[in-house]
Amino acid sequence: MEGRSVKDPTAAWTVIARVSDLDAKRPLLPITLASGRYVLFRDEEGELGLIGRHCPHRGADLCFGRLEDNGLRCPFHGWHFDRTGQCVEQPAEPEGSKMYTQIKVPMIPVKIVDGNILANIPEGELSQ
Amino acid sequence: MISQELNDQITRVGPGSEAGRVLRHYWQPALLREELAHGDKVPVNLLGERLALIRDASGIYVLATRKASADEKPTHYPNARDIVIDPDGPAYPVTERNGVIFAYMGPGDPPEFPNFDCFRAPESHVFAFKGLWQCNWLQALEIGIDPAHASFLHRFLEDEDPKESYGKQFRDSAADTNIPMTKILRDYPRPDISVDETEYGLKITALRRMENDLIHVRVTNQIFPEAICIPMSREMIITQWHVPIDDENCYWFTMFTSFRDPVNKDLMREQRLKEHALPDYAPLKNKANNYHYDPDEQARLTYTGMGLDINVHDQWAVEGMGPIQDRTQEHLGRSDVAIIRYRRMLRQAIAAVADGRFEDLPMQRGESVAQISGPLSNDSIADTSDWQMASHAADMARRSACPWDARV
Ligand code: FES
Ligand SMILES: [Fe+2]
Repeated sequence: MEGRSVKDPTAAWTVIARVSDLDAKRPLLPITLASGRYVLFRDEEGELGLIGRHCPHRGADLCFGRLEDNGLRCPFHGWHFDRTGQCVEQPAEPEGSKMYTQIKVPMIPVKIVDGNILANIPEGELSQ
Repeated sequence: MISQELNDQITRVGPGSEAGRVLRHYWQPALLREELAHGDKVPVNLLGERLALIRDASGIYVLATRKASADEKPTHYPNARDIVIDPDGPAYPVTERNGVIFAYMGPGDPPEFPNFDCFRAPESHVFAFKGLWQCNWLQALEIGIDPAHASFLHRFLEDEDPKESYGKQFRDSAADTNIPMTKILRDYPRPDISVDETEYGLKITALRRMENDLIHVRVTNQIFPEAICIPMSREMIITQWHVPIDDENCYWFTMFTSFRDPVNKDLMREQRLKEHALPDYAPLKNKANNYHYDPDEQARLTYTGMGLDINVHDQWAVEGMGPIQDRTQEHLGRSDVAIIRYRRMLRQAIAAVADGRFEDLPMQRGESVAQISGPLSNDSIADTSDWQMASHAADMARRSACPWDARV
């Protein structure tokens, strides 16, 4: 999936998409920033998440993830992430395993202003 | 997580590279016999080298170096008349087994072939095919030694009639029951996985504990260095190599081997040609067209939304990691135990080659390689109390009824 590229963010809060871009049955978009690839999605509570695109397990592409259970689930082994990038479930790991509590995908805060979705791009990733 | 340095060491395969030197100590699937129809020179792109199958002055097939421009695509497949052989480049011996032409690109004499089922079954009972995956060979191999993923990646939200399943993976009913394999995989997603080192590589046992004190046992294998051997249906097993074209592309070469009836090669070939373009055997569903991803289908029918062909699911999973998976970012779990064991074996082999201890390499330890048979690959359902015996007995029953000599 081609990510939309935001190559020249000039402010900490940068427009990455319009809210209407997520008006689809499956509200999810690949987003490419100078620093790497991310996936933007809306969960069942209507909140947005912008998290790293590669699954922290073995690197599958979360842009093809299953939007379900109020988060994004990796189709490879079912690891499930909430909008903060926190892993909340690892259904193939042994019953009772707490490994998931230690797993988090990078997350970039987002907000909506005037129909635009803005991402709070960390200092180091701003280009001049 | 591993370091970038280690990731480079275990993934890169060009001439002189550490993992590349290990692979070169083994016969490599180079092309399918059916490719000989291309002409008197057949292009082969293997382990970062640009080659062509030709006949030498005495009429014997060899894999010679061909002249290539630096900007050729990795799967470049020129016409026979456009191929120019480089007489200064290396030339490698080849030999055919049941439809696959293997090449030996390493030092010294080539090793013996083990007596695996795919090599000793008669021609009538083996069908060979290949397909392109645009990623490094190691991530392609690692999905094959990961028994947990089948419960997710290949999940069908509905089961089809197992009678429609000929020539397809995971669509038969399990063992001697009428439970579709797809249902078992879906209902029991947390297999207990154990790994045993063997003379040929690894034996991987995945146990799914079911109701009524029953247990589903799936035995699969890693064959060193880059193959797997797994059950496909009750009748057939798959032996599959993940052969590097270069560092960022590979071919899977599969030998489908039947323990019962001759393989219906026309049907199996037709099924696969519908999904691949010649001459480079590139899959029609690929990264450029999002693998025909359909979000509605993903919600309703399959876990990936990419159709019913599980090969496409695997291809998406491994290509989506990027050309070479960034293992500095991975977090392996308990379900990755075979991958961890395999990487350890590969690093031991890399060290052995670096020290010139070639006799420490798997299947080259001076034992009689021709005595190595099997390996046993099957699905069975057994009582929890005696699953080990039952799994073994199921394979022995299939082998003793086999029309060719499949005894182990
Ligand atoms: S790669 Fe995502 S769950 Fe395994
Ligand atoms: Fe698979």
